Amino acid sequence: MSWIQQNWPLLLPLVLGAIGVWLLMPGKRAIRPLGGLAALGALALGFQLVAGGKDIHGAMYVVISTFCLIAAVLMITSRNPVYGALWFALVTLCVCGLFLLQSAPFLAAASIIVYAGAIIVTFLFVMMLAQQSGASNYDQSSRQPFVASVIAFTLLGMLLITFQSWGVQHAKIQNDPLQAIATSPPTPATTSETRTVHAFSRPVGQEQIGELRGLGRALFSDFLFSVEIAGTLLLIASIGAIALAPRRAQGTL
Amino acid sequence: MSDYAQLILWLIPGAPLIAAGFIALFGKLFMGERSHVPCVAALAVAFACSLALLVSIVPGTFHEHHPEGASFEGNDGQQYTQVDEEQVISPTKGAVALGYEWLDIGTMQVRIDLRADAISAIMLAMVTGVSLLVAIFASGYMHGDPGYARFFAAVSLFVFSMCMLVLSGNFVQLFMFWEAVGLCSYLLIGFWFKKPSAAAAKKAFVINRIGDFGLLSGVFLIWKTFGSVDFQTVLFNAEAIAKANVDHPGTLPLICLLLFIGAMGKSAQFPLHVWLPDAMEGPTPVSALIHAATMVTAGVYLVARSTPLFMYAPNVQLFVSAIGATTALISALIALTQYDLKRVMAYSTVSQLGFMFMALGAAAAGPKVATFAVMAAMFHLFTHAYFKALLFLASGSVMHSMGDVIDMRRFSGLRHALPVTHWTFLCGALALAGFPLMAGFWSKDDILVALGNGMQSEHKTFFTVIFAVAVLTALLTAFYTFRAYFMTFWGPEKFPEEALQPHGHGAHDDHGHGHAVSHDPHATPDHAHGEARPHDAPPAMAWPLRILAVCAVGIGFVGPLHLFGNYFERTPGLPDAAPHGLHLGPMLMSVVIALTGIALAYKFYVKSPEIPAGLAIKLRPLFGLSQGKFFFDEIFTAILVAPLRIIATLCALFDKFVLDGVVDSFGALPRFMSQAPRRLHGGLTPAYATTMLIAVLGCIVCVMQLFAGQ
Amino acid sequence: MNGSIHPTLLVSAALFALGAIGFLTRRNLILMILSAEMMLHGVGLAMVTFGQIHNNNEGQIFTIFVLTVAACEAGLALALILSLYHRTKSLDMDLWSALREDDMPSPVGDDSTRGPVEIDKRPVPPILTPAGLPLDPKTPLQPTRSSHEETATHV
Repeated sequence: MSWIQQNWPLLLPLVLGAIGVWLLMPGKRAIRPLGGLAALGALALGFQLVAGGKDIHGAMYVVISTFCLIAAVLMITSRNPVYGALWFALVTLCVCGLFLLQSAPFLAAASIIVYAGAIIVTFLFVMMLAQQSGASNYDQSSRQPFVASVIAFTLLGMLLITFQSWGVQHAKIQNDPLQAIATSPPTPATTSETRTVHAFSRPVGQEQIGELRGLGRALFSDFLFSVEIAGTLLLIASIGAIALAPRRAQGTL
Repeated sequence: MSDYAQLILWLIPGAPLIAAGFIALFGKLFMGERSHVPCVAALAVAFACSLALLVSIVPGTFHEHHPEGASFEGNDGQQYTQVDEEQVISPTKGAVALGYEWLDIGTMQVRIDLRADAISAIMLAMVTGVSLLVAIFASGYMHGDPGYARFFAAVSLFVFSMCMLVLSGNFVQLFMFWEAVGLCSYLLIGFWFKKPSAAAAKKAFVINRIGDFGLLSGVFLIWKTFGSVDFQTVLFNAEAIAKANVDHPGTLPLICLLLFIGAMGKSAQFPLHVWLPDAMEGPTPVSALIHAATMVTAGVYLVARSTPLFMYAPNVQLFVSAIGATTALISALIALTQYDLKRVMAYSTVSQLGFMFMALGAAAAGPKVATFAVMAAMFHLFTHAYFKALLFLASGSVMHSMGDVIDMRRFSGLRHALPVTHWTFLCGALALAGFPLMAGFWSKDDILVALGNGMQSEHKTFFTVIFAVAVLTALLTAFYTFRAYFMTFWGPEKFPEEALQPHGHGAHDDHGHGHAVSHDPHATPDHAHGEARPHDAPPAMAWPLRILAVCAVGIGFVGPLHLFGNYFERTPGLPDAAPHGLHLGPMLMSVVIALTGIALAYKFYVKSPEIPAGLAIKLRPLFGLSQGKFFFDEIFTAILVAPLRIIATLCALFDKFVLDGVVDSFGALPRFMSQAPRRLHGGLTPAYATTMLIAVLGCIVCVMQLFAGQ
Repeated sequence: MNGSIHPTLLVSAALFALGAIGFLTRRNLILMILSAEMMLHGVGLAMVTFGQIHNNNEGQIFTIFVLTVAACEAGLALALILSLYHRTKSLDMDLWSALREDDMPSPVGDDSTRGPVEIDKRPVPPILTPAGLPLDPKTPLQPTRSSHEETATHV
């Protein structure tokens, strides 16, 4: 009981979120607005948990994260898969925004190209070909929404507890972890020996983290073999996709 | 010399084995009615090699009465191992063809070697010779049978097994081929396996198991006592046997008893004799070859071979004699009243085997006459093989002509219709009855002499009884043999209707045979009634009969001329024999017995056929006892089979309700326990994913617990 | 904003959990795949954040590889979905339940017990014209509501 009393700021948004998602899931329940309210409340309460400065940086975090999570909830609860796919595109965009904030501009660009540009469009094509008549009844019901919500939010809670304890420890070391991480100059690699021994891809010299030059250097020197493997994997996957796709008469699906 | 010996030794069993494999693989498909060709050719090769072995194994010693080499040296075992590399044929060592090491388990080393000495050479010559003639006979007799190729494959396999049995150099190899001949016997008794009476094959197999158990136990005991199963160390090493007798008192008689139980099973001695008459369900050539001439004499061979051990167990020898006498008398009595010609011959075989065991037991009279007794048994085995094979083949010829009818009440007076069969059967019958100068006369005479020797030893009373039984049995033998002869070939001419049907020459016959008949001058003297009269044997059957008839008449002369005896005494391990000559007293008695029996049969069945019928009514209980084969089968059924059946039923019930219940409940437990979890298996992929996620949760909890401590 | 959790890590964990919910509850094959992709987003976000915190590029490089694998996965998943669709003419995951025990009820049958299907009253999303088909004036490309309901009840 005391543990619950101590951790109610963490537990309350989780419970609210679980209830909200459960109510929002497609099904017979007609109280979706209530679910939406609960989910929003959970979101608002959840932001009380995070550490962050009250500067423009922190505000952007909040805005993008809010959009991201709302889009995610709408995606998994949408009754029309086409809308679901569009919401997923929004999730991807928001994640790319967070990538940018985490000083990963290359990843942000790549994600937009790969996901929003290729994957989602392809999925949309398939969906439109497959469901020409629009919504079907298997999109109108969900399977075991309650169990799934409970399990998933338990998992989320555990992850958050872990992050929280880690963040508290970090805060003891450096008074403001986020500020420290964001503003501290990158520790230059003292010798090439420490670079190779302790971390593969620490920025060298005056490089910033996430800078395209450092990323490319790390990819094509330290991870060259993995890159080749990834290329082979892509080739194999494309061959496999062609082999798997059903043969059909022209003009039909 | 060495290569030559190797070659002929390996060819004797090798040729039939190759023929068996060849016929089994290609016979049915490619050879059809010519399947007998490889078999006959292989047996001819084996016979030729056996003859070569016979003359080369004891070279130049036929006319010496006491060659130095005949006595056995105690340390021969070591010499033997020294000269292993180069093969030597010598009187004492015989010929050895090295094979390969088959088993090497701890202290037990078993080699597959071919080892021939005098006794093996005699057996081989007899086995291959008789089987050659029988195979030629069968090529006519089995003509048109659907299993023609199978028959000759099995016969070839049998001859291979029998040769390997005789050529064995150790007890394990002997046991292995002892079983192999049993298997061939099983295959051939049940040759017409669609007939319900082919169950006789199972009976023979099961009863033989009793004997085989004895033999196997004996071999184990030999190994435990001597530390070896090799003949060279067990049988031919007199010092080792004497030492074993001192070290393990009472073991040698036990070994001998167990070996004899093995011999009882294979040689159909009382009370295990019941399988042999039923084994006549097989084709007649099989009866002639396996169940008269060769396989059933394996027991006699085993006991004769083990004489060095039996010398230390006189009580067992007396037991052997007693069993032999009992068997001989009982089977002779049964044979008196049987109407089935082949059954008469089967009981006669059992009876003659009893004679051989009587003679083997007479070796108890003392070392001086032991060799003579064993020689008498082997001599009778030798002559019996020829005339009994002849009688069986002639019976087969009768059966063939009579359209598979074998009941003597349904035909008679065949001597004009079947002249070849008649004359050859007469030769065999005379030899079996012990008519003077015929083969059986000499050998039976030797057995009586051996028993007479026994009467002069300390077992006087015992051997007097045995001698009386032997004389009585000889009389009965002469009587029932000629009863069968007269009933079949004399009296008014009568044929069963099966024989008169144009194509009804038996179930295994076809019209191709009828074609052969028309070319046979002996078959139908009167061509006007060619279709209405039974035909005599075709040439393929007639010539083996003629050759065997000559043997039955003449082969006995190797006895009185001392050819057999002198040759046989070269067998290693046998004690020195006293010189022996012709014994006029027993000979005279044999003549009287044989003539009396024949005369009685003539009186009963030709002159006044009403006598036997009257006797049968007067002596109804005794007649019934004999007719019913002393009811051994019924007794065994009542006291052995029925209780076993009850026990088996109980076991089956126990198995069904108790054991199966226990096993089923072990199966039902997880079934019961799985009632709840199997609901998880709804087949939905997300349901499995849910389970997986729960497991991930569990893992995370564990990891958090681990790191919480830090 | 006074807690101690890194904000991006919160978002990444929430994305992962929401993706899991989507994967477990949705019956549409494509939505399930999209939910899985969303879980990958969460993982990638977390790794980028860790790389930022530890001041190296490994997190980002790892995310690049995750991106690669996700692309492969999407391609293969689409091929598989098309294959499955070819068999059943439906994207319903519940039709594929051959792994279940013999005496378990088929999950597809559940639809009848769920009562009348609630039809989305919102406008019909755009429908792609099948390529190569001649335009038939009798059958307009824009499906009517009636045909919509017909297919909706027919699963």
